[in-house]
Amino acid sequence: MGYKIGLDLGSTAIKMVLVKNNEIAWSRKVPTAPGQEALALELVKGAVSECGLKESDIDQIAATGYGKKLMSAAGHTVDEISANAQGLHWLSEGRCRTIINIGGQDLKVINLNENGRIADFKMNDKCAAGTGRFFEQAARILDTPLESFGEMSKLADEPLELNSTCVVFAESEIVSLLAKGVPKERIIKGLHHSVARRITHLLGNRNTPKSGDIYLDGGPSQNPGLLEALEDELLMEVKVLPNPQFTVAFGATLSLN
Amino acid sequence: MNNTQQDDREGRIKKKIFDRFEDETAQEIKNLKSRPDFSPELEYFVDLLAAGRDPATISERTGRPVVALMCLQAPLELFHVFGLQPFKIFGGAMVSQRLSAPQLPAIMCPMLRSALGELQLDLAGQKGQRFLAWVAPTTCDWVVKIQDMMEVCGIKEKPPFHRLELPHMKDRDESQERWLEEVYLLKNFLSQLTGQKKIKRQALANSMSLYQKSWHVFSKLIDLKRIGLVPELWFMVISNSFFFDDVEKWTTAVEKALLTFKTKNESPDIFLAGSPIFFPNLKMLHLLEEAGLNVSMDDLCSSERIFPGAVYFDDVSEHGLLKALAQRYHQGCLCPTFADNDRRINNIIAPAHKDLFKGVVFHVLKGCHPFDLESLTLESRLKDQGLKFIKLETDYTSEDSQTLLTRLEAYRSALTN
Ligand code: SF4
Repeated sequence: MGYKIGLDLGSTAIKMVLVKNNEIAWSRKVPTAPGQEALALELVKGAVSECGLKESDIDQIAATGYGKKLMSAAGHTVDEISANAQGLHWLSEGRCRTIINIGGQDLKVINLNENGRIADFKMNDKCAAGTGRFFEQAARILDTPLESFGEMSKLADEPLELNSTCVVFAESEIVSLLAKGVPKERIIKGLHHSVARRITHLLGNRNTPKSGDIYLDGGPSQNPGLLEALEDELLMEVKVLPNPQFTVAFGATLSLN
Repeated sequence: MNNTQQDDREGRIKKKIFDRFEDETAQEIKNLKSRPDFSPELEYFVDLLAAGRDPATISERTGRPVVALMCLQAPLELFHVFGLQPFKIFGGAMVSQRLSAPQLPAIMCPMLRSALGELQLDLAGQKGQRFLAWVAPTTCDWVVKIQDMMEVCGIKEKPPFHRLELPHMKDRDESQERWLEEVYLLKNFLSQLTGQKKIKRQALANSMSLYQKSWHVFSKLIDLKRIGLVPELWFMVISNSFFFDDVEKWTTAVEKALLTFKTKNESPDIFLAGSPIFFPNLKMLHLLEEAGLNVSMDDLCSSERIFPGAVYFDDVSEHGLLKALAQRYHQGCLCPTFADNDRRINNIIAPAHKDLFKGVVFHVLKGCHPFDLESLTLESRLKDQGLKFIKLETDYTSEDSQTLLTRLEAYRSALTN
């Protein structure tokens, strides 16, 4: 009894958390594919059996993310910006004033007030420039696993000046740089900086916090190379919590209270 | 490919787009008619939009030859007194852009790109009647260049084309004098077009009072919207259909429609600002409803701004009447193409302080630079005063509906915190 489930049905991954007393007891993600509700229900089953629970131990399910309305088993839905705000406010113990969220297909900047309520937010337009999908494409073209991006960019002294964060243009730019023999490490460092600049533009002066902390979350926030580039471009400290890809799913469970 | 094959191919493309254009229109009509708040009083407006916007249909309905109008600054009363029906050109269908896009810049006003595509479909030619003339006040760059773009797109409309040079500094006396000259030039143009050497002063006064009455009735509809009784979707349908019929008939229909709105929307009120919205692309309004937001005020030129406001005059000479019209259509216009447009911003900020709405939703069509630029000033002024603002940039596509909805839902949460 007393368990809650938060499901974040995103454009590239479905993330789930099992929560008791506002603590994450279990979490997992699977790639988004057709039949999102069935995939999400599989996750629920997995959590129940791995934690030795019965289905009746789950009190409530909250869904968020682009696919939230597909989840008929969810008794409650919440938009992902509000879920993100609530999740980070709780997990940062009220210190967070700005969230930079990098999703599969979008970038968001969310400003919070001291009560964790949304004061303002900005989202990139519909193109995937600088998002999780952009990094996935870059990893494919560079034939390098995404997980090694952080380590590799540390090996480069100077980032390469890349002109584009557009998925289509970056592809041809990367291909031509590789053909010229530019080391992958420099290209990767350049990619991190170009995405960091894009985030800085989205943040703008107005959304840069005068007080409180900045947190980065979403899948790509686990990349230390991107974090370093972002701090370098912003000239501010940016924090990342453990398991940053589950903040939104966790925030959804808080909206059940 | 020889010429015959090329013509045949183009013909088939047009036919395909025409069929989809009809489907898109029919789908929105179906959406509107299946709403629980649809009533017989609203049928008139929906049917006007459904019946089409070619000159033959409008001229048959109004009994007047139809003149195409690009923007709202030309005094409508002048067309009326010359026995003409002004018709504001707009593009609302997403699909018609597919015809015009290959000839046009990649980033441009999608509303005009859609309008040009629709003109390429040549609905006028199909019905055997073209616009008698075109009148274009020089507002934004896209409107200034519309004649060139029509040519590039191979549009068959070749009637007389008259431009009104719009002075972009509203508050200068010289500008108002300039604009009065332009109104006289428009009068001369319409006089040559119709062969009527003179207009009777009394006839002009009568036309003015018809539009005055219309504005008065429309204001009552605005008042109902302010208290949450008129959904913005219906308000847009009513105002979008303004040019489709004789002003008196339309006004009578609005008067009847006033009685139909009885249910108060309890959702948070917002001010909708920015680029215009035209049928059948009512995407943004559906999304606002879905997100649980109620538009209690707007300043769109396709909605609350179709009238420039009440026209006052003391001098009943012809010159006095024309001067009053010129002044009202110039001074009353809040189009962002004016350089000195603080009043537009203040018109949003002042009611915000009176709690008439909780926040501003700024709708920008990608490529509509005047509104995009003005949104920056508005955003900074509103936020400096602790007021809520969100800008939503969109195109004539339904692909971005989900991301727009996410933002609107989050905005609603921020407004109700
Ligand atoms: S003001 Fe904007 S919407 Fe109107 S015609 Fe110009 S670009 Fe298009």
